[in-house]
Order: sequence, then structure tokens, then C-alpha cells
Amino acid sequence: MDSSPRLETATLVSREFRAPGFWFLKLRCEHVARHARPAQFVALDLPGGFAVRLPLGIYTAQDDTFGLLFKEWGERTTRLAALPEGSQISCIGPLGNAFAMPRAGERVVIVAGGLGVAAFWMLVKELKEASIDTTIVLGARSAPHLVGREELAAFGFPFEICTDDGSEGHRGTVIDRLRSLPRADVLYGCGPGNMLQALCGLADKHGITCQVSLEETFGCSLGTCWGCVVSVRRGSGQATGYPRAPGESRDLDFARVCKDGTVFSSAELVWAS
Amino acid sequence: MTGAPLDLRVKIGAATLKNPVIAASGCYNRGEEYAQIVDVGRYGAITLKSVTRSPRLGNDMPRVFPTPGGLLNAIGLQGPGIDHFLAHIAPELSKVPTAVIASVAGFSVAEFAEVAALMDGLPNVIAIELDVSCPNVDREGQCFAADAASLAAVVGAVKSRVKLPVIPKLMPNVADLRPIAQAAQDAGADAVSLINAVRGMVVDVANARPMLANVSGGLTGPAIRPIAVHAVWEVAGTVSIPIIGMGGIETGNDALEFLFAGASAIAIGTANFRDPLVHVRALQGIEEELRRRSVASVRELTGMARTTQAKAGSH
Ligand SMILES: Cc1cc2nc3c(=O)[nH]c(=O)nc-3n(C[C@H](O)[C@H](O)[C@H](O)COP(=O)(O)OP(=O)(O)OC[C@H]3O[C@@H](n4cnc5c(N)ncnc54)[C@H](O)[C@@H]3O)c2cc1C
Ligand SMILES: Cc1cc2nc3c(=O)[nH]c(=O)nc-3n(C[C@H](O)[C@H](O)[C@H](O)COP(=O)(O)O)c2cc1C
Ligand code: FES
Repeated sequence: MDSSPRLETATLVSREFRAPGFWFLKLRCEHVARHARPAQFVALDLPGGFAVRLPLGIYTAQDDTFGLLFKEWGERTTRLAALPEGSQISCIGPLGNAFAMPRAGERVVIVAGGLGVAAFWMLVKELKEASIDTTIVLGARSAPHLVGREELAAFGFPFEICTDDGSEGHRGTVIDRLRSLPRADVLYGCGPGNMLQALCGLADKHGITCQVSLEETFGCSLGTCWGCVVSVRRGSGQATGYPRAPGESRDLDFARVCKDGTVFSSAELVWAS
Repeated sequence: MTGAPLDLRVKIGAATLKNPVIAASGCYNRGEEYAQIVDVGRYGAITLKSVTRSPRLGNDMPRVFPTPGGLLNAIGLQGPGIDHFLAHIAPELSKVPTAVIASVAGFSVAEFAEVAALMDGLPNVIAIELDVSCPNVDREGQCFAADAASLAAVVGAVKSRVKLPVIPKLMPNVADLRPIAQAAQDAGADAVSLINAVRGMVVDVANARPMLANVSGGLTGPAIRPIAVHAVWEVAGTVSIPIIGMGGIETGNDALEFLFAGASAIAIGTANFRDPLVHVRALQGIEEELRRRSVASVRELTGMARTTQAKAGSH
């Protein structure tokens, strides 16, 4: 079967309340579930007169069913959380590129902030199958916001939990915690922008390979509107490759998070200082 | 005439489209992304993203924000510039499974004329649309589409350089669209497209700052549809050249509103993002209407609401 994205109808098979405002939904859609790669996402068309689809990371994927782990951020996610089981949802996926696997014997640390954890179930599963030494650093504002570890814990890798308020695990950020861990060969990150910027900064400083899955406000989710770009180094394989604009002195080009990403290597990203 | 084949062809100047449903500029690239999931060849034409003379990086992020029934965008004409376009993108146009309308944006009359001339004769390209919503650097930043004289200068200059039909694209942020459309026609435009995005803004209340890096943006999607339908109605009462109507079209019924108001063809932008089959639905809606009214040609639908209104008015 062709793994390119398709326009499908998914059926909502179960909805699980995780914490106030946090949900874990399972949707039946064989094409997405069978072909999803780590960090890929779906774009859902929700009822309610919205002009654009809602992008959500594919969390779990097993047999003909995939899972979504999300927060009620605004109107579309709130609408999704309220849909009854059995609902049919128009779904485009799987979309975006994927995390690349480490080489055998490399040590991996995964750093997830908040809902960024949703990008990692498939990666953790593949790391387990490849017997890669992996540590998972999870951070959230406070203990109730530490959603997603239920599913990840099943793989048996060690966890480092961090909360801003110290309500569980270490008080402080995932980056603080990472600094005190043994050096990794490969870092993977997903979460808030400032966390990823710090992670990439740390990786570059120590010369560690680092891949991050980014999030932006999406329009089309498919690569046609150019609304979701991120700055990357000129010449980066994911960039437009367009000639430099007149008067542009910065050594940067843009890439589309939805189509060229969502995964970028820290070596390619250019962060605003 | 039930059972008779329906004639969906429409004429835009000397160009003929196989059907009146067009993908709007800036929303579809060359169709290659959508081709993964739907039959983009069902479109009567695909309009390319507007190309400028020089490469442009475009605006900073955030560039888009969803609004009630719409999308606010400020992409800032990110693009390769005409040289890179000719070298790398133009050769791919023969693979587009339908007709292509090229789009040119510019900041001076000379830039429009020069870039449009280079687009003339590219494979598959059947017309050239002019995105005239940019500021005119020769006239103190006055937007071409807001000033009849600037617009006429652009259209006249492009017409003198290209053989293909030329379609200036009007924007709704003007006091009166009619003299502007008239100026376009008088300067030799073969058709007009309308409307471009409606200027708008969202404030990020939590952080007390504009939501888009560019501060303002263009509002598109169903939120602007009545504005667009009215614009078509007004312009159709003024000019005799064909109108390509657009702004918030999501269904066959929406498409018919534009045709009945006076458009000869319609374009769909934002609705592709939510419903990649929107073009097929629009076409089906038009076909059903032709059958329901026992009309053979889509061309007979153009301005139907005007005829009805004129009759009602004469009593
Ligand atoms: C590739 C990708 C994958 C993603 N995966 C996940 C995931 O797995 N789980 C998850 O929970 N999220 C995920 N997201 C994030 C999610 O798609 C966004 O948060 C999305 O905007 C939510 O849509 P919404 O309509 O519910 O909220 P929106 O209405 O879009 O609001 C989003 C945020 O903006 C704020 N906002 C809205 N309007 C205003 C205003 N006028 N002023 C100030 N603030 C405002 C809201 O309060 C909210 O915080 C992902 C995003 C991307 C791009
Ligand atoms: C993301 C985006 C980018 C656009 N870029 C262009 C452009 O480059 N040139 C242009 O003439 N119109 C551009 N438009 C305007 C559309 O072509 C169209 O006129 C407008 O969106 C109204 O139609 P819609 O409501 O169906 O989207 C853009 C619209 C969007 C949403
Ligand atoms: S959201 Fe449209 S290009 Fe990425």
C-alpha cells in the first residue's frame, strides 16, 4: 500500500479523559494507522464552520487505529473533545516527514515538553524494537499536565520527570535535567518553542545530533499556503532553494513546517536571537 | 434537453477553459501536493502563486491565523523571483493536468510588464493574472488596485508586451470598485478577477500584541463571501469583459451565487484547505443546476440573478 497521505474518513472509536482539558482519542483509519511514521500528523476537518483543518500529531498507531493526545486549546480542539464515539471525521494523513532512527549502539535522550510527548510514542516503539538505549525526559507545568506517560511507560525505558512547580519529579525544566544526565549521542525534542531553542542550543554547543519536531499555526497543512515557515540555513535540504532576496544579508531560507518538516535537525535551524 | 451533454466551457478572452472552476492564486502551488489526495485535473485551471521580479523571503512568522469562518494571512509574496521560476518551475508546468493561469505581482509598472512578458508562452499557460494589491513604488506606495490610473498603466503596459489574455485581480478595499474595473477594461484587460483578500487584523489578547508579525493580513474564506458576491454584482453591472469571481466559495451553491451575480468563472482558494474535494463539489453543483434548469451551457448561468432582478424591476 502507498504510504503517501490520503483523504480518508476516520471513525472515533474511543475517548478517554486524561486530566481537565486533556484527552486521548482513538480513531479507526487503516491507511493512517498502518503508514504513520514517528512525528507525522493528521489534519482533521471538524464540524463547526472552521475554514481550516486542525493539525494533530499521531500519537499511537496500532493495526487499523491511531491515537490522538491533545489539549482543549481553542475552538477546534474543544469541538473534537466533544464528539461522541462513532463520529466520522474527515482526516488527511499521514502528513509531514519523520524522525530518523539513530545508528545501532547510539544513546538516545528524548526531551518532551507538555503535549510534545504526543510526537514520541511511535519513535519510542521503534527504539525499543531496535534495542536502543533510551532515556525519556518529560516535563510539564505541574503533575496533572504530565499526560501521555501511561502509554510510553509500557516500553520500559527510564523516565526523568520534571515539573515547573515541583509537584512531581524534579522541580525545574527538562533542559536543566538534561544538563545533569550522561551525554547522549542523539537528542530528540518536541514541545514549546523556547524549550526547543534551548535544546538545540545545548546540542550544538556539545556537538550532539538533535532532531526536533516543530509546531506552527497551520493554514493548509499540506504545503501550499506557505503560512507555516521556519528559518533554516541557506542550502539546507529542506529549504526552498530560492535565490537570496536583494538586500537580504541574513544567511537564511525558509522551509515549510507542514511539508518539509515537521522534523528538522538542530544544525539546520536558525533561531531568532 | 435532459440527457444532452452539458457544455461547461467558458471563455476568458481568447482562452477557453474546459470548465469554470479555477484554483485561486497562492493556495494551490502547481497542484502537486493536492494531486496526492484528489484529482486536481478536475479544475478548469490552476492559478499559480504570484511571481515577482526578485526573490522574496516573505513576512516573518506568524503568517496565518484561523478566524471565525475564515483565515487571516500575511505571507508577503514569498517566492523564487522570475529567473528561478523560469529555470526551475516553468519546465514543470507541462505536467500540470489542466490549464495554468500564471500570476504576476509587482511594485512598479515596469516590473509587471517585464515579468508578464517572460511568462507569455510558457507551457500550459493560457492567461496571466495580475496581483495588483501591492503598493506602487512609483506613486508613493499607492496600491495599484486602489487607483484607476495606476491600474490602467499596469494593464496597458502588460497588454503591450504579451499575447495571452490579461486578467487584473481587484481587491475589495476601495471606496468604489466600478471605476477601477472600468479603467481595467478601458486599458485592454481581457477579464477581471475579484476579489483578493479583505484586509483585516487579529489581536493576541493574552500577549497584548498583533497576532500576525505583519500586523495586518488578508482575510479569506467563507467569512468574506457576501462581500465578494456583492463586488461581482457591482462590477458585472459596469464592465462587459468576463469576471472570475472568488471569495469564500465552499459549495456548488456558493459557486452559483457568483455566476448568477455576473461571474463567468469562479475560483476557490481557502476552501481547498478544509475540503480538497471542493472543486468537484462545485462542479457537481453547477452541473445539477444546469440540469434542473434545463440549460445546456454554463455560460447561460452568468448574470442570471441580474436578469431576474431587471425583470422584477421593470414591472
Ligand atoms: C504538526 C502539529 C501537530 C500538533 N499536534 C498536537 C498534539 O498532538 N496535541 C495537541 O494538543 N496539540 C497539537 N498541536 C497544536 C494544535 O494544532 C493547535 O494548538 C491548534 O491551534 C488548536 O486549534 P484550536 O482551534 O483548538 O485552537 P485555536 O483557536 O487555534 O487556538 C490556539 C491557541 O491560540 C489561542 N488563541 C486563539 N485566539 C486567540 C486570540 N484572539 N488571542 C489570543 N490567543 C488566542 C488559544 O487560546 C490557544 O491557546 C499540533 C500542531 C501542529 C502544527
Ligand atoms: C495563503 C494565501 C495566499 C494567497 N496568495 C495570493 C497571491 O500570491 N496572489 C494573489 O493574487 N492572491 C493570493 N491569495 C488570494 C486568493 O487567490 C483569493 O483571491 C482569496 O483567498 C479569496 O478566495 P478564497 O476565499 O476562496 O480563498 C492568497 C490567499 C491565501 C489564503
Ligand atoms: S500550513 Fe500551508 S504551507 Fe504549511
